[in-house]
Amino acid sequence: MTSTLLIQIVLSGLVTGLIYMLIALGVTLLFGIMRVVNFVHGELVMLSAFAIWYIGVDQGLPMWVAIPAAIVVAAGIAVLCQKLLFKPLQYDILNCFIVGIGASFAIRSASWAIFGPEPQAIPAMIPGVVRLGGVFMAKQRLLAAAVCVVLAIALYVFLHFTRPGKAMRAVEQDREAALLMGINPENVYVTAFIISAALAAVGGAMLGSVFGVDPEMGSEPLLKSFIIVQIGGMGSIAGTVLAGLFIGVADSVTGTLLGGELAFIIDFAILMLILIVRPRGLFGYDV
Amino acid sequence: MTIARRGFLALGFAGMGLRAGWAADKTIILGCSIPLSGPAAPTGITTQRTVEHALELINAKGIEIGPDRYTIVAEFYDNKYIPAEAVTVVEKMMADGVRYLFSSGSGNSVPVVEKTTAAKVLQMSGASGKGHLTAPQFPYSFRVQPTNETAYAVYPWLKTAYPEIKRVAHMNPSDEAGFTESEDRRMIAERNGFTNVGNEYFKRGSTDMYPVATRMVGFTPDLIDMGGTIGRDQGLACKALRELGYQGKILQGYSDAKSFVDIAGPDAAEGTLLFDTLAEPQTPEQKDLYNWWIAKYGPPFPSYAFLVWDWPFILASAIRKAQSVDPVVVAGAMRTTVYHGIFGEERFGMKSVYGLDSSLTRQIPMSIIKGGKPSYLATIDWPAGV
Repeated sequence: MTSTLLIQIVLSGLVTGLIYMLIALGVTLLFGIMRVVNFVHGELVMLSAFAIWYIGVDQGLPMWVAIPAAIVVAAGIAVLCQKLLFKPLQYDILNCFIVGIGASFAIRSASWAIFGPEPQAIPAMIPGVVRLGGVFMAKQRLLAAAVCVVLAIALYVFLHFTRPGKAMRAVEQDREAALLMGINPENVYVTAFIISAALAAVGGAMLGSVFGVDPEMGSEPLLKSFIIVQIGGMGSIAGTVLAGLFIGVADSVTGTLLGGELAFIIDFAILMLILIVRPRGLFGYDV
Repeated sequence: MTIARRGFLALGFAGMGLRAGWAADKTIILGCSIPLSGPAAPTGITTQRTVEHALELINAKGIEIGPDRYTIVAEFYDNKYIPAEAVTVVEKMMADGVRYLFSSGSGNSVPVVEKTTAAKVLQMSGASGKGHLTAPQFPYSFRVQPTNETAYAVYPWLKTAYPEIKRVAHMNPSDEAGFTESEDRRMIAERNGFTNVGNEYFKRGSTDMYPVATRMVGFTPDLIDMGGTIGRDQGLACKALRELGYQGKILQGYSDAKSFVDIAGPDAAEGTLLFDTLAEPQTPEQKDLYNWWIAKYGPPFPSYAFLVWDWPFILASAIRKAQSVDPVVVAGAMRTTVYHGIFGEERFGMKSVYGLDSSLTRQIPMSIIKGGKPSYLATIDWPAGV
């Protein structure tokens, strides 16, 4: 294997891993704070991408209008899910898991009926390809990677250096103690759902512009997200970032050198190994 | 309203009722197992709309068998392009007494062919699947759309139309359709003097095509034959190949050209060769179908409709020829029916390959993506002796 090919494989994997990481951050945020495994997250990615396609492509409005509008749409749906699905179940992990799967199927089926079967595309915001020696990379992928990095840093800063972020961490660490400190957990939950939805919406924009838009587009990234979150440790931002990059590169190396079929097998093998050796994941804690 | 006028209207309604009752008494149910949801749904929806229109025309005349007049009624079932779903819907159809079946996709058609053969159900498949569907042990199974076999016509044509192409790499989904397409296309390419430099499979519906595209580019082919790749996968694969610097030709079929160009982007899609794809109607019959679609559903016209159009008429012709609705008798008649369809003379052949004449042979239209749109390139005659 030449060094050029190696660089190509690793770079491709890092970029894809960063997009998966962004989606996984939304999953791990909710789990960390309220122990909810949100199966609807993949559908938020898909619905956001369709919203961006509809506003930005079909209606021809600029992307700086379409993406914020998609964030609003995703946040609205996420809050509805929180109020109507998860809160009545008192955030019970198993019940929320099952209801989430049902809601996910329902939203996906409705999407086939509403949006139709033809896949759509969000045009690249920065078209063209960067070539460095023998290594190629679409500019849109690099933009997507950069956006994901910025958002991951922004999330870290939000959680560690702002009052609402600190409130979230307080609820995550000890809900009762946070209550005694005057923090309303319900408000924190709503904020967490909105942030998670915003991450899904931006993830949808990036995925849609790189991979196209259709009602199934959220499924594979969500599955990857769960693997990433499990490996990184449920609720751990740092673990999610590292696991996202790791899975992205592992997929790229396996897919390129051994064939795409093996990528998922390797992912699950890694996941099983980590769950056996360290059940809480790399940076997680016991549930 | 006068009494006379009321009486006249009553007679009219009674007449309509009688006619409806008469037609409903003699119907042939055609069960269609097609993807109406999921990633392959565009082909299923096109199939449904096209078959419905074909049956309108067939039923307007009816099929006369002795003193009886038959019409064909289609029932559409969503197989989601998932083999397990396909088996379920076909079992349901057979339990309901369906004796004529259309099935879309080899992954959905191969698992049911033994069941339909045992029940003497006439199975028409728009699918690859080679000897798994068309073989002497499946005498009631017909493939009504040339799939992997198009390579028999396309590769000799490529040799003369694009003499600069020497090295061919093949890229297919890792399923029944993909393995079949790859096997045939490699064999036929080699037989026509091309060098096969690579052969790769990918998981259908993959999100990221970079890994498989990186491998494909590494083979430095002059042509990448996407074979059994369909739907969104085509656009993503083409986009990834171009982003990774591939500058050679791409060959693919079974395309919804608009979706393909939307996903791949016009620059990446430019120059892609589309086999068995008629981008623009050439004959009056083709123009009729095109105009009907545009009038009813509006643009864009899915060229896949051309591929689906003829087989309901071939079935009707075979039933007329057989003068029977028994699928066993109709299968015998179908094998010898010569039909003048939208692609000229069409007949079931390829006995030399499959051991019996059960695979539809006809002209193969070729198109090319130019300026972000598909345009007509050529019509290739079916090769002699195949």
